[in-house]
Amino acid sequence: MADTKRKSGDNHSNRKKGKKQKTSSTQRDTNRKRRGPRLPSQLRKQLDRLNPGGGGDGSSSGSDVDERIESDEGEVYVGNDVYEYEEGVPEEESQKNRRFDRVENLEYEMPDEFEDENLSSDDDNEGDNAKGVSSGDEVEEDDDGKHSRMLQGITGMPGEAFEGKKKKSNTTLVTEAYAESEYNPTSDVLDGHGRISVEDLLDPLRNKSGYSKLKKRVHQMERKSNHTQAPLHKAERERLERKAAYEQSNKDSVKWVPLIKRNREAGTLIFDNDVELGFSTVGAIASEFEPRTEFEKKIASLVHDDKVMDAHQKDGSRLLELNQVSAEDERDRQNRIAKLRSLLFRHEMKSKHIKKIKSKTFHRLLKKDRLKAASSEYEIDPEAVKELARKHEYERAKERMTLRHKTNSMWAKRIKERGLNAQDEGTRAAIAEQQHIHARLTRKMNSMKDTSSSEESSDEDESDEDSPGEQDRTSRLLDEAKQKTLKVLNEEDEVPNSGLLSLPFMVRGMKKRNEVAAEEAKLALEDYESLSKQLEGSSRGESPKVGPSSGRMVFNAAGKQQAPRSSKTKSDDRTKADGLYDASDSENDLQTEDNNEDGDIVRNDSQQDINIDPSLLHEVLNGHQDGLFKSFDDIVKDPGPKTTHEVSIFASGTWKKVKTGNDQVKGGNNDASKKKSPVAVEPVSEKQDLQETGKEFSEDSDSESEGQMVDGILFSGGPKASSYELPSQAELIHQAFAADNVEDNFEKHKQEILNEENPEPEKPVLLPGWGQWTNVQQKKGLPSWMVKEHDAAKKKREEALKKRKDAQLKHVIISEKLDKRAEKLYTRTLPFPYSSKEVFEQSIRMPIGPEFNPATVVGALNRPEV
Amino acid sequence: MFLCFMFMSKKVKMGVKAENGTLTKIVPPLEQQLSEEIDLKVKKYLRGEGANLEILQDKKLKGQLSVREELYGRSAKQAAKTEKWLMPSEGGYLEAEGIEKTWRIRQEDIAREVDISSSRNQFDITLPNLGPYTMDFTSSGRYMTFGGKKGHLAIVDMKNMNLVKEFQVRETVRDVVFLHNELFFAAAQKKYPYIYNRDGTELHCLKEHGAVSRLQFLKNHFLLASLNKSGQLHYQDVTMGEMVGNYKTGVGRTDVMKVNPFNGVVALGHSGGTVSMWKPTSSAPLLKILCHRGPVSALAFHPNGHLMATAGKEKKIKLWDLRKLDSELQNLPGHANTLDFSQKGLLARGTGSSVQVLGDFSGAQNYSRYMNHSMVKGYQIGKVLFRPYEDVLAIGHSMGWSSILIPGSGEPNFDSWVANPFETSKQRSEKEVRSLLDKLPPETIMLDPTKIGTLRPAKKKEKPTKQEREDEMEAAIESAKDMDFKRKTKGRNKPSKKVKKRQELVAKAKRPFLGQNTKEEELLARKKQKTSEEVELPVSLQRFAKKKAAT
Repeated sequence: MADTKRKSGDNHSNRKKGKKQKTSSTQRDTNRKRRGPRLPSQLRKQLDRLNPGGGGDGSSSGSDVDERIESDEGEVYVGNDVYEYEEGVPEEESQKNRRFDRVENLEYEMPDEFEDENLSSDDDNEGDNAKGVSSGDEVEEDDDGKHSRMLQGITGMPGEAFEGKKKKSNTTLVTEAYAESEYNPTSDVLDGHGRISVEDLLDPLRNKSGYSKLKKRVHQMERKSNHTQAPLHKAERERLERKAAYEQSNKDSVKWVPLIKRNREAGTLIFDNDVELGFSTVGAIASEFEPRTEFEKKIASLVHDDKVMDAHQKDGSRLLELNQVSAEDERDRQNRIAKLRSLLFRHEMKSKHIKKIKSKTFHRLLKKDRLKAASSEYEIDPEAVKELARKHEYERAKERMTLRHKTNSMWAKRIKERGLNAQDEGTRAAIAEQQHIHARLTRKMNSMKDTSSSEESSDEDESDEDSPGEQDRTSRLLDEAKQKTLKVLNEEDEVPNSGLLSLPFMVRGMKKRNEVAAEEAKLALEDYESLSKQLEGSSRGESPKVGPSSGRMVFNAAGKQQAPRSSKTKSDDRTKADGLYDASDSENDLQTEDNNEDGDIVRNDSQQDINIDPSLLHEVLNGHQDGLFKSFDDIVKDPGPKTTHEVSIFASGTWKKVKTGNDQVKGGNNDASKKKSPVAVEPVSEKQDLQETGKEFSEDSDSESEGQMVDGILFSGGPKASSYELPSQAELIHQAFAADNVEDNFEKHKQEILNEENPEPEKPVLLPGWGQWTNVQQKKGLPSWMVKEHDAAKKKREEALKKRKDAQLKHVIISEKLDKRAEKLYTRTLPFPYSSKEVFEQSIRMPIGPEFNPATVVGALNRPEV
Repeated sequence: MFLCFMFMSKKVKMGVKAENGTLTKIVPPLEQQLSEEIDLKVKKYLRGEGANLEILQDKKLKGQLSVREELYGRSAKQAAKTEKWLMPSEGGYLEAEGIEKTWRIRQEDIAREVDISSSRNQFDITLPNLGPYTMDFTSSGRYMTFGGKKGHLAIVDMKNMNLVKEFQVRETVRDVVFLHNELFFAAAQKKYPYIYNRDGTELHCLKEHGAVSRLQFLKNHFLLASLNKSGQLHYQDVTMGEMVGNYKTGVGRTDVMKVNPFNGVVALGHSGGTVSMWKPTSSAPLLKILCHRGPVSALAFHPNGHLMATAGKEKKIKLWDLRKLDSELQNLPGHANTLDFSQKGLLARGTGSSVQVLGDFSGAQNYSRYMNHSMVKGYQIGKVLFRPYEDVLAIGHSMGWSSILIPGSGEPNFDSWVANPFETSKQRSEKEVRSLLDKLPPETIMLDPTKIGTLRPAKKKEKPTKQEREDEMEAAIESAKDMDFKRKTKGRNKPSKKVKKRQELVAKAKRPFLGQNTKEEELLARKKQKTSEEVELPVSLQRFAKKKAAT
C-alpha cells in the first residue's frame, strides 16, 4: 500500500513537472514566435541540424538532457518525414487554420466526466493529452502576462515565483520542428509526462460567465488538493499486494522461528502442558444451557414451570393430573395411528403380491418338469412316441444341415483359442453340453462296429483253440489269425468320444481293457509266429536263427503255458533291465538270477517244448555270464563314491542271501561261470570297506583284493571277524599318523571348500572335430574368446578368494555362507537420516534398556520423542 | 614362613559384607587413582567410541546424535559410579614375597590362612566304585551335579553340602549338564541322553541324539547341544522340544566340545588338530582353525568369549584370540586332558593326576604358572571345573571328585539378576519365566553377536527368488497389457488386430522370464542327474544298498 502511495505520489509529481514543462514549452513557443520571423519548416530544420545544441548549452538538470535527446529523436523522425509532408495530415484534422469546427471544445462542458476519463487509462490520457495539446495551441495564443496571472490566480502564489521559473526555462530552449498539435505532440506528451491539468483546460472559461458552479467545484477541488489516483494495472496491483502480503506473512512466520528451533533441538516434545478442555461432561454442558431462541424459551418456561417442578419434587401424583389429555387430541392420535396402519397393511399386501411373482428360473424349472411329465406320457402312448420320434428326426436333420452345435460359433472359437483350461466351470460345462448335443444329434443311427469286433475276437479264440491238424491248413489259419489280430490291434485305438463311454472312468476302464486285450493279442501273435516257425522247422529242419534269437521267445512261450501274469512281470523286468543294461543279452541272465526255481523248471520245460539244443543255450548263457561279469567289473572300476560306500556297508550283511541264490542256480544246470560273478562282487565290497576305514591302504589295495579274490569263499567270513577291530585300528593308525600331514590335509580341505564356494572355471575345450579341419586351424589353438573368457573367470575367482576374510590366514577357514535365517537380524537398508554405515552402527552400540543402564539415566535415554 | 596373600571369599547378599582375607593391606586410594579407575570403567560402559559426527551432512541428525552421545556418557558415568559403590568386594589372589613362588603354595598352606567357610571348600570325595566322574555347576555355582561313568548320578547343594538326590542308572554315563536351573539336568548315557529333574525322575529320553559323548547347554538360547559318537552335532530346543539342528561334522568322532559363553557358538576339537565352530542354523562350520599338529584333547573359552585355549596331544597348549586369528597368542608346553577358564580368567588344566592353574597377571594375556596341585598318584583326572562365584576348582577323577581352593578365580560380586547363589524358590521361578521370555532364537548365534541390528553385509550375487521373479513377470505382463497403442489408419485399427497385437506384446514380455526359468530348470535337472548318476546302482546291486534312514 505504501508503495502504491509512493507511486501515485510519483505520478503526481510527474504530473506537476509535466505541467511545468508544459508551461515552459508554451513559453518557448511563444518566445520563438516573438523572436524570429516565421520560417518555412524546411529552413528551420536545416537550422536545427546546424546547431543541434540549440539553446540546450546551458541545460544542467538530467531531466532536461533527457528531454533534449527525446526531442532530437523526434526531430529525426520528423526529418525523415520531410518528403511525405504532403500526405501527412489533412488540414481539417490539424485544425491549424481554424477553418473547421472545434468539436472537441464542446466536451469541456462536462468537466466531471472528463476528469474521470482523464484518470481511467493511459490511452484515454493520451487522447486527452492530445486534445489538451490542441487546446493548448489556443492557449499559446494568450500572452505571457496573462498566463502568469492565471497561475497566480490558481495557486495563490506571487507571480515572481513563476517568473523565475520562466527565466530558467527560457535558458533551455528547445525548438520543435512543428508546432505542437494533436498529431505532433511534444516529447513530454509522448513520454506520458506532459500532463494537462484541469486548470489548463478550464482557463478559457475563466472569464466567461455562467460557469460559476463549475468554477466553484474546481476551486473546492483545488483547495482540498487530494487527487484521486488512477488505479494501477491489475497485474501490477496484484504484484504489489503479493509483496505486501509476503512481507506480512514473513513477519508472522519469523515469530515462530525460535519456537520451532527449540522444538527441533529438544529431545522430547511435551504437548500437554496447558491444555484446558472446557466442559467435560454432558451434565456440565446441559447445566450451562441458556434458552435463547423463541422456541427454546417456550420449552424452558414449560419445563421450569413451578407446578411441574413442584409435582416432581413431591410424589408425582400431581403429574398425572397435569398429564390429562383432551378427547380431541386422543381422537387425532387414533386417526393418525389408523392411517399409519392402513398404509402398513397396503405395503404388506403389495409385498405379498410381489413375492408371489415367480422368477424366470422357477418358470424354467416348471417347464422342465412339465416336459418330463410329457415324456413319461410318451412311453405309455404310442402316438406320442411316434410324434417324439418325428421330432427327433427333424432335429437331427436340422442339426446336420446347420451344424449349429458344432464348435463353429465365434464364441466357441474364442473359447477354443484361449484354451478350455482357462475357462471357468460354467463355460466348460456349456461347451461340453454343446458338444454333447452335437454328438447326439449327428450320431449315426445303429452303428454296428462294436458287435463286429467282438465277433472277430471270438473268431480268434476259436483259431487259438484249434490245434494244427494239417500243416497247410494250420499255417493258413495262423496267417489269417495273425492278420485279424493285427487288424484288431490297429482298430482298437479308436475311442468313442461322447456319451456314456466318454466319461473319464469309463475311458480309463476301456483303456485298461484295451491294454489287456493288446497284450493278449501280442501274445497270440507271438504264438502264431513261433508255431509257424515250429512248423517250418519240423519241415525243413532246425534253422540256425532260432538259437541266438531265442532268449525272450523261449520265455514267452513258457509264459504262455504258465500264466499270462508271469510273462507280464517278466516283461516288466525286462524293461527295467533295459534301462540299466543296454545290451539285450544280459537281460536273460538277470532273469535267471531273479527267477526262482520254478522259473528254472519252466524254462527247462519250454526248452524241451521248442526243441532248442541245450548246448546252444549254454553257450549263449555263458556269453551272457561273461557280459555280466564284465559289467560288474565296470562297476568295480569306476564306482561313484556314494554307491560304493553303501554297498560296502551292507555287502557283508547281505552276502549270504546272494550265496543262497547262487546255490539254487547251481542246482540248475548252470556251470561255474555263475559262481564267479558273486565272487567278483565280494572283493569289491571288501576293497571298499577297507578304503572306507583305513585310508592308508589306498593305493596298493587292488593287489590285495585280487589276492583275496583267489581265495573266494574263504574270505567271505573275513570281514565279519575284522569288523570289530577295524575302527579301533583305524583310529590308532589315524592317531599315530595324524601329525604327519595335518597341515597338508588342512590345506587340501581348505582348497576344497574354496572350490565349493567359488568353483574353478572349466577349462575351455573344443568339440572334437570342430575347427580342426586344417593344420592352420589346429595351430591356432583355441579361439581367443574362449581363452579370454577363461582368463576372466579365473581372475574373478582369484579376486573373490582374495576378498575372503581368511585369505591371509593359512590355518583358518571362515565360512562365507550366508545364513538366511539370520538375515532378518540385520538391517536391510540404512535407516533414513543416516548416511553412513559407521555412524549408524556406532549409534546403536549402546543398549538403552533398564537392564543395562542406571535407573537415573534410563528415563532420559529412552524418553519418547513426544 | 612369611606368606602374604589376600584371599577373598566373596558373596554379598543384601548388605551382608564379604569377609576380607586375613592379611589384607589396603592402600588408601588416591583421588587421582579413583578418577582413573572411574575413567576406565566409564570406558568399559561406553562400549566403544562414539561415531565421528564431523562427517555427517545432516545437521539435524548430528544434533540428535550428539544429544544421544551425551546421554550415553552420562549413563556410563553413572554406571561406573554405581559399580564402584555397589561392588565393594575385590577378588583376592596369592601374592608371593621374596623367593616364594605362588605355585609352591599348597592347599594345606592356604587352608591354614583362610576362614572356616572357605576352608570347608577343600575336600576329596572318594567314590572308587563307579568310575571316573564328571560334573557341572549351575550358573550360580550353588548346585553341582556329577555323574560317574558307571551310572552314578547325583545333585549336591554346594552351600551346605547337602546331597539333594543320588541315584544310579546302571549304564554308562558320559556327561552330565544342568539345564537352565538346578531343577533339571541332562545325562548322556549309554545309548541316549536323558533329562532328569531334581528328584531323579526321568523326564525325557532324547533318542534322536543317539549315543552322545558330550553335552552342552546354551543358557540364553535354551538349546541342548550334543555330540554323538558318529560325530553328529544335535541342537534341541528344550522349551518346545523341537530339533533345531542336526549336522554331521564329517571329521570323525570326538569328545572335545565347549560352548563359547559369549556368543553361544559350539566349538569342537577334532583329531586332525582342527577346532571347528558351529551354529545351529548352518550345516557348515563357521570357522575352522588348524590349532595343533596332533589331535585336540581339550578346549576352553574365556568368559569374555575372545580367548580360547586349546590343548593338543603333541604336548602343546595354545591360547588364541578369536578376533585375531593370525597366530596363537601364546604357546605353552604341556599336556592337558581337560581345560577350564574361571570367571576371572584363570586357566586350569588337568592331566594325569595333577592340576595346574595358569594366571594372567600382567594383563597382557600372558599366562604363566599360578598354582599347582597334585592328586594322589593313580587318580586320573577327567574334568576340572571352576565353581562360579567361588574361588573353588572342582576336579573329577577316577576315584571320585575333589575340590580345591584357587584364590582369585571366582567373580566376587554377583548380580542377582544374572545368577544368585542365594536364590529362593520364588526368585528362581520368576527368573525362569523371565529367562524364557528373554529366550534368544537360535539364529542369533553367530561369531560376532554385536553385529546384530547392523547393516546387512552385501550379498555376493543376488539371485532373485522365485517369488520375486514371478512378481516381476506379473508386472511386466501387466504393463504390456496396459500399454496404449497409437491410433492407426482405418483398416489397421480393428479390435481384432489390437487384440492380436496385445497378445504378441504379452508374449514378448513373458519371454525373457520363461527363458530364465528353463535355464534354471535345466541346471537343476543336470545337477539332479549328476547326483542320481552317483547314487543309481545297477538293479542287481540295489539290494545291497543301505536303506535311507527315515530321519
